[in-house]
Amino acid sequence: MESSYNSHVKRIIGGIVIAAVLGFLAKVVMTPESFGVYGHYRADAIIEEADREIRHWTNASCSSCHAHEANRHSKGNHKTISCEFCHGTYADHIADGKKVKTLPVMTGDEIKTLCLRCHNKAIEARPEDVIKTVAMPDHLKKQNVKETHTCNQCHYVHAPLEYINQAIKITGIKETI
Amino acid sequence: MSRTDKTPNAVSGGVPDMATELNGDRRAFIKKVLKGAIGGSLLLVIPLEAGVGEKQENDFDKIPEQIPGIRGQEYDMSSRQFAFVVDITRCIGCGSCCVADKREYNVPDGNYRTWVERYVKDFDDNVYVDSPKGGVEGYQEPRPELKGKIRDTFFVPKLCNMCKKPSCVQVCPVGATFKSPDGFILVDSKRCVGCGYCIQACPYSARFLHPVTRTAEKCTWCYHRVRKGLLPVCVHVCPTKARKFGDMNDKKSEVYKILRSHDVITVLKKDMGNAPSLYYKGVRREVV
Repeated sequence: MESSYNSHVKRIIGGIVIAAVLGFLAKVVMTPESFGVYGHYRADAIIEEADREIRHWTNASCSSCHAHEANRHSKGNHKTISCEFCHGTYADHIADGKKVKTLPVMTGDEIKTLCLRCHNKAIEARPEDVIKTVAMPDHLKKQNVKETHTCNQCHYVHAPLEYINQAIKITGIKETI
Repeated sequence: MSRTDKTPNAVSGGVPDMATELNGDRRAFIKKVLKGAIGGSLLLVIPLEAGVGEKQENDFDKIPEQIPGIRGQEYDMSSRQFAFVVDITRCIGCGSCCVADKREYNVPDGNYRTWVERYVKDFDDNVYVDSPKGGVEGYQEPRPELKGKIRDTFFVPKLCNMCKKPSCVQVCPVGATFKSPDGFILVDSKRCVGCGYCIQACPYSARFLHPVTRTAEKCTWCYHRVRKGLLPVCVHVCPTKARKFGDMNDKKSEVYKILRSHDVITVLKKDMGNAPSLYYKGVRREVV
């Protein structure tokens, strides 16, 4: 068949149409669902992010079982500290309402390191009106105890001044820091 | 009933004598024991289905609500405007926030969604900044190499600034990072190709490439917690309340009151023009 004088135009236009259709199909297939609902992104990503697992609960969640500790903790100077900071996350401890793992309890020198995260006077950047700091080992010397003493031998970690205040009450000794 | 009829009831007063009871009806006794044993072991094998699936959903309702006005109603994204305030004058550099953040998201070692910097200024106006392990292990030691007298020293917690004009969103070539209608800058890890443009574009260095997934990650102000009416985890665990979070449209929120007060409130790198929603209270001019 002899080609007509405008066959090249037809071929070009045909090519463009085919490319446009293929491009459109590719766009439909490859654009994720919910893309562009709010903007140039996948709207479902918001829901996915919102559905992430909560790992830290609250002190109220802990106190539902550990009422004794929670009660003393809530009355002491450490009441603003989250249980989960020292002990680990609730999600590691409880799954589907059942206990799955025992959380660590700090002992010995770990306690000292933990306490000094907040209470070390050597770190001058700590605002004095916010946190009571002690210098180590001066504090131990002043209290006439061995330098190997750990903090929790005098201070009950959940309510640090509970025992101290009781001792002051009983003996009448004045407090020295 | 025929069994009891057969059993001779020797003891007066209606109490059956145990020996005669057993002797008289061993078959019934064994049957009872077997039934109990089989029934009991079945209970152990077959889990109690009732309510387990639903319970998981509602468990979070047991956590006391921390941000008022989110639970029990339709979440309208367009009516929310959250703000974060970091109070420099209250930060003690304990690193609780960093620890909590690492645990909430299983952040790999060496990467930080939030971190705490220590600033030290001496009398010659030299500024020294350090942040060992992002503050995740706290600050146990003063800086030994600084011999001069310290004029001013303080901690600065850093996290995503949730810019109103985010440069990271602008540069993302695949629409993986975006600003949600409620003002959160989030990363869609399914879209992200890990090119790292956003990491370079962020003026606050808040982003990192996750070494395992090879996608960009950053602080989300705990979007998953906020949507459930809970505070971001760093705000929740902060023992001195140096971090504060709330809805600016809620006139009773602490954040609203702070931002309306006479305190010195500033944002970091204001001249970058990113318009952050993260505000700092009591921050010094040296902080960048």
